[in-house]
Amino acid sequence: MSVQVIFLAAFGLAAVWFGIVVFRTHSMVRSALALLFSQTAIGAMFLVMETEFLGVLQIMMMATEMSIMAIFMVMFMMDPGGLGAMDMKHQRRLSLWAGLVAFGGATGLAFFANWGPLPAEIPDAAEQVRLLGFELLGRSMLIFESAGLTILTAMIAATAMAVLPGRKAEAQTSEPPGHEGHGA
Amino acid sequence: MSMELIVALIASAALFGTGIYGALSQTNLVMIMMGIELILAAALVNLVAFWRYLHPDAIEGQMFVLIVMTVMAVEMAVGFGVAIARFRSRGSVEMEEAQELKG
Repeated sequence: MSVQVIFLAAFGLAAVWFGIVVFRTHSMVRSALALLFSQTAIGAMFLVMETEFLGVLQIMMMATEMSIMAIFMVMFMMDPGGLGAMDMKHQRRLSLWAGLVAFGGATGLAFFANWGPLPAEIPDAAEQVRLLGFELLGRSMLIFESAGLTILTAMIAATAMAVLPGRKAEAQTSEPPGHEGHGA
Repeated sequence: MSMELIVALIASAALFGTGIYGALSQTNLVMIMMGIELILAAALVNLVAFWRYLHPDAIEGQMFVLIVMTVMAVEMAVGFGVAIARFRSRGSVEMEEAQELKG
């Protein structure tokens, strides 16, 4: 068993374990931190697979994203600290079976598919970045620019949706009698 | 058969299953988004493993990874926009209280 397999398995286990912790803890901040650790372990898996650029990108991007997520969790949850041990789950049996079937199906595919012969060698890190740069600003430029434009559109749309004037008043007037939001 | 590829795919399958469980079982919008993040992370692991162990000569494989990362960022931005709008109008992001969205 090679060193790469051992490290891949270790970081894979860490990613899965922290992924499970996300849905087991009652504290929302712990959930966000567990997801951050899970995503960081995935970034470490990328580094083990010798894709340095993507690994570092994954870790940096997820660190920012999960920090923002932790702030939102504290803002929106009724019990962000988890001291009340609120139950925030439904359809447990269905979800568990769906998760197990998805895991079993994907694992079966991994074992029974014919993946073909392995390539002899891969480009080193610097060469990968050079090739990716040429790819991004060459043949795949339209896709790359479209991705950037999509993020910009999503940012503007999300901001517009969140600050749209009159939304609260409209929602309150359209509420059925006797049904009032709590906390707003 | 490459042992490294199999290990990466099994880890990815476990992440995918965990994400499916989270997205289906949680009642809070932000927690559902966390489940979707795990599903997309599983796709990322698959893409990198396929590039590394099957087609390292085709750098387009890394392009797919960047696109999935973009999808993750867009999902977060739109999800939080919806969460803020929902919280401002109804005071909660609990999906059990969003029965009116049912088709």
